[in-house]
Amino acid sequence: MVLKLYGMPVSTCTRRVATVLVEYKVPFEFVSIDVAKGEHKSAAYLQNQPFGQVPYIDDDGFILFESRAICRYIVDKYPAPAGTTPLVPSDIKGKALFEQAASIEYSDFEPYAYPTVREKVFKPMRNLPTDKAVYDSSIETLDAKLAGYEAILGKQKYLAGNEIILADLFHLPYATLLAKAGSDLMTTKGPNVTRWYNELCERPSWNAVKDGAKSFSSY
Amino acid sequence: MTLKLYGRLQSTNTQRVILILKEKKIPYELVEVEFGQNNQPERLQFQPFAEIPYIDDDGFILYESRAIARYLVAAYPEHGPTLVPPPSVGVKAQALFEQALSVEAFNFYPTVSSILMERLLKPFIGQTPDEAEIATLTEKLDTRLAGYERVLSKSKYLAGDEVTLADLFHIPLLTLFGLGQIDAFTNDEKVKKWPSVARWANELVQRGSVQS
Repeated sequence: MVLKLYGMPVSTCTRRVATVLVEYKVPFEFVSIDVAKGEHKSAAYLQNQPFGQVPYIDDDGFILFESRAICRYIVDKYPAPAGTTPLVPSDIKGKALFEQAASIEYSDFEPYAYPTVREKVFKPMRNLPTDKAVYDSSIETLDAKLAGYEAILGKQKYLAGNEIILADLFHLPYATLLAKAGSDLMTTKGPNVTRWYNELCERPSWNAVKDGAKSFSSY
Repeated sequence: MTLKLYGRLQSTNTQRVILILKEKKIPYELVEVEFGQNNQPERLQFQPFAEIPYIDDDGFILYESRAIARYLVAAYPEHGPTLVPPPSVGVKAQALFEQALSVEAFNFYPTVSSILMERLLKPFIGQTPDEAEIATLTEKLDTRLAGYERVLSKSKYLAGDEVTLADLFHIPLLTLFGLGQIDAFTNDEKVKKWPSVARWANELVQRGSVQS
């Protein structure tokens, strides 16, 4: 039975998973959840995703949620496509540097990129007022954290070394919404961040799903 | 060379690493980095975000407390309990472990740490806690704990029947619930809504590595 991805087409976390599925050329069926109608909070949905969040996958009866865990599962289960290096290293030190990069993404990027995007993109979409103080403070901290990125990316191509890894790709959904939120930090903070960001944006797997997750029956 | 841990005892992120070092009985030396000294050049060269903790394991530098914990478990397999599923369990069990780790990082840590920042950090730096914000965050936490109950009513720990890093990572913030006036596990009405979570949380903070 083909893998099913349950989510919202333009949801950041849903597109994070779709990117890696396409990256690893895994056929999947995309099933759209009606978030506007609260389908993700229904008793039936909560059986599969106990926190009432999107996305989750059903891989032939195996249910998994948390987008980054799903991405790791895909990389663990399927071989890297011919001619590419695995998106998760297997040696102890390489794995440790990978985990450091994965942790940087959710400690130093997402906590500031997400509120920035929420205030100026998600809230207006739902006719909710923007909290300017939250926006300003999130941008200020994000700016400071990107200095750390600039230092790392001046010494190596990607966050854990010279090969792209999952943790680099994890940034794409929120990083690409910052411009819509009125911030050009990803291309003005410094030449290294700009180079890294532009390269990520060119990734074919991201471009296949950036406008909305959808089913892929073959590659 | 004994592993060096650069951090502060009062920092919950440093405590997360110390917890795992104690669980795994790995010898270490704590090098105290004073509050406000994270961005000294000799620190920034190792931790470019001006944060603590970071480790120096015989020349191997690593930062981010959860990454350090994972590394310690991988690099010192013969010490103490395993705390992660063994490779033999297979891809699905590994994935459920990663799911549990992600739940801690996204459904627990950000909300709880925000509440604790309001209640504990703000007074420390002369600011007033935002009660309206605390109320919103508490409501969010309560919704999350309902999610935890759905998981922990079916399994003893977050990734199955054995304790793993995913459970332990919660401990530093759990130990601050009292000081931070978070009554999720002391308010009887609330505990009735998530009895399995309360059992799990109380057990975690009673662990020997926490009490010592």
